[in-house]
Amino acid sequence: MQPSRREDLRLIAGHGRYSSDWNLPNQLHASVLRSTHAAARIARIDTAPALAAPGVKAVLTHLDVERAGYKSIVGGVATKDKNGELMKKPFYPILATDRVCHVGQAVAFVVAETPEQAQDAVDLIEVEYEESPAIVTFADARAPGAPAVHADIPGNLSFVHEHGDEAKTAAAFAGAKFVTKVRVDSQRLICNPMEPRACLASFDAATGRYLLHAASQGLIAPRVHLQQITGVPATDIDLIVEDVGGSFGIRSSPYPEYMLSMLASKTLGVPVKWTGSRTDTFLSDYHGRALSLTGEVALDDKGNILAFRWEDEIDLGAYAGPFGAFIGTQNVSIMCGGVYRVPSVFVRSCLAYTNTTPVSSYRGAGRPDIAYAIERLIDQAAQEHGFDNLELRRRNFITPAEMPHTTAAGQTYDCGDFPAVLEHALKTVDWSGFPARRTQSEKRGKLRGIGLASYIEAAAAGAQPKDQTAARVAADGTITIYCMAGGSGQGHETTFVSVFAGVLDVAPDAIQYRASDPAFAMIGNGTGGSRTAAGQGSSFTLLAQALLAKARPHAAKALGVAEVSYAKGVFSGGGKSITLKDLARQVAPADAGTHPFDSEAEGSYGATYPNGCHIAEIEIDPDTGVTDLLRYVAVDDLGNILQPMIVEGQVHGGVAQGWGQMFGEHAVYDRESGQFLTASFMDYPMPRAGWLPNSGHFDRVPHPVPTKKNLLGAKGVGESGCSGSLPALMNAMMHAVRPAGVKELQMPVTPAVLWRALRDARAKAA
Amino acid sequence: MNKIEFTINGKKVATQVEGRTLLVNLIRDELKLTGTHVGCDTSQCGCCTIHLDGKSVKSCAMLAAQADGANIVTIEGMADGDKLHPVQQAFTECHGLQCGFCTPGMIMTAASILKDHPQPTEEQIVKGLEGNLCRCTGYINIIKSVHRAAELMKA
Ligand code: FES
Ligand code: FES
Repeated sequence: MQPSRREDLRLIAGHGRYSSDWNLPNQLHASVLRSTHAAARIARIDTAPALAAPGVKAVLTHLDVERAGYKSIVGGVATKDKNGELMKKPFYPILATDRVCHVGQAVAFVVAETPEQAQDAVDLIEVEYEESPAIVTFADARAPGAPAVHADIPGNLSFVHEHGDEAKTAAAFAGAKFVTKVRVDSQRLICNPMEPRACLASFDAATGRYLLHAASQGLIAPRVHLQQITGVPATDIDLIVEDVGGSFGIRSSPYPEYMLSMLASKTLGVPVKWTGSRTDTFLSDYHGRALSLTGEVALDDKGNILAFRWEDEIDLGAYAGPFGAFIGTQNVSIMCGGVYRVPSVFVRSCLAYTNTTPVSSYRGAGRPDIAYAIERLIDQAAQEHGFDNLELRRRNFITPAEMPHTTAAGQTYDCGDFPAVLEHALKTVDWSGFPARRTQSEKRGKLRGIGLASYIEAAAAGAQPKDQTAARVAADGTITIYCMAGGSGQGHETTFVSVFAGVLDVAPDAIQYRASDPAFAMIGNGTGGSRTAAGQGSSFTLLAQALLAKARPHAAKALGVAEVSYAKGVFSGGGKSITLKDLARQVAPADAGTHPFDSEAEGSYGATYPNGCHIAEIEIDPDTGVTDLLRYVAVDDLGNILQPMIVEGQVHGGVAQGWGQMFGEHAVYDRESGQFLTASFMDYPMPRAGWLPNSGHFDRVPHPVPTKKNLLGAKGVGESGCSGSLPALMNAMMHAVRPAGVKELQMPVTPAVLWRALRDARAKAA
Repeated sequence: MNKIEFTINGKKVATQVEGRTLLVNLIRDELKLTGTHVGCDTSQCGCCTIHLDGKSVKSCAMLAAQADGANIVTIEGMADGDKLHPVQQAFTECHGLQCGFCTPGMIMTAASILKDHPQPTEEQIVKGLEGNLCRCTGYINIIKSVHRAAELMKA
């Protein structure tokens, strides 16, 4: 039977190969000692009892890391503030030096014969901590007299990022008829891919090369970061990744255990494997979100938007994690005008350190947050100043006639039809029938609400200058294609192969795909920013064309004609024909050397702007505070859609993560002790089966306006589900509870939060 | 060390285990059946679900020693040669998997839901999947897969 995706057959049979599935002969096992304190000086570490334990081969501390010459973990941005100052960032050690700055920070690394021995020995290490006061929220970090997370960073302030025109925006506000202000918190989350982190490192003394198995989102960034930290050239690190059990942004750079396993393997001369637990995930995977955005909108008397102004509070955690600072600077600011014609914008983001796990990208990395803030602001402005929330949007949408449109935030939207997408969604959900549905709910004692969001995000741009791809042709004529992006559920094998095979006009089965092969020293972006279809996909189109161009003269020669035609994998000319595969076999070099059809291609493609309108309809039981999501409509302009089923899955997954953030997920630290209170699946509510509406009540409708910025017309899908769902769900929530007197809610709106808010509103009204 | 014997995917196994060894570790590390996954340390995620004497169990919540005499089926034992189990077929047909990490556990749980309820209602499926977490799919296509598997098994 034909699987829907090429990757499915091995995954449904249990034959996938994830990080912890790799093993090597003679491997040792590692376990990490983590800090139990949020802020403390380390007075003493005694590793002797652990070293003496059965099976233990080594106990690494910061001294070993320093001796090896390993440097700080890489992170932060290189931009300067308006005074020309760089971001303040502390040394981010692989193992804590003389102090710990958050619960879960790695302190020592034990290597033993079995995982159990390593774990047991971790408990034998004696660490004397001298505790100091910890701060775990942005507000506490910035309060006067707050304890310093890092002694040399006053006020815990890392960076102030400004974007837009402050004076022009202030003038617009001064002349405004109406102003509305909304603060939204996008709470700290745990990304929680289902596969916990793990790695296996093996040093080959003969060649000086490292083999590393560890989940990643691509081949370039992790190895470049490893080089910057360890000094080992990226080209000497064979990072081999096959299956990855979810990434969502947090696997784009290496973690301390990877360098420590490399170091231990080199020191001990055998492979070293570390298998993280879910507790390790909670404590030490980079966290997500952790920011608050306060937005103001200035309107004239008719409801035309004059300006947006933003004050953002960005919690970086204890250090500048790999991509943490990008969220609070670039990602929340470049899209801060949304889908609207806004003459002027100004953003000020303050980035601060707290005694918490560092933050990095999580599905959207700031883009869902700003989309959420904008759409809350628009709804609130409509409510406060007596505008219809649809009319206010329609009046201010950038129209197709205005495309390309350069926003006040400096982005040029190439295409899109925001008004049509809105109408499409309203029709799909039967917006005008809502009052009748609300009456029905009221009869049953329930509160009903409907909310929408017209979101947009910047996607597809990458940190690498281009996306290269390669094709290698074997002696038997089999073609294998390569790129640098790593998949983790997005179905790259299916999508890329079908793009490539589509150009060649052959069955996808004839093509092999191999991601992230270190033998290929190519340039190419990792997976992230919803970009691989647009970037790698386009490059694979060029690659197929390049291969055909190489094959053509050989076909002419083989057929003895001057010109050949090509269709469905077959060259024809002079009444004869030969398949591409047979031709490839015929011209293969006898010595298994370079095949004449081996090809390379590359392309650079700029940002795209996926957008859409999501609508949520909810019903609340006021007696329990439980919210039922009755209906969800996602009308998305994702550009051309390459694999409808895969795209649908991405939307489902993104909306589910938005649902999780809206209704339950929250990484909570104790404000006094700095202890992490939600470090397991028992304390951190993950979305479960049946919490989203089933497929009959979840309408996902494509509304493609293809972009010309890449060869496939694709805009990208990975993160749109989060960007659309956060604001749609919260707008529906506010719509439901406003009549009951609730004026403000922040995520997560758990049943307890909602029940209390409704009770308080009732008490106030009485 | 405890001496134990059991059957796994139709093969007899006799081995020695430490008292504290978890069944999932025996399956993964010693028997090298790495299709059974470990997604948590609190028995919440269901990635480790197997069939033991015909019932689905979380193999991280059992000691290996407790499996003495048991008949175990893991994800690797679900297909009949090249012929996929209907639940496996339904998962690929309905795109019930993305990264695939939760999938073995989901398939094992789904098969046991269908054993109890050959024509399950939406509620029975949702209840049956309560102990299985997925971060990728939003469960919509997983639930669809279970319905589809019921259809395939009836046919
Ligand atoms: S590993 Fe068994 S339930 Fe999570
Ligand atoms: S498919 Fe990735 S966790 Fe379920």
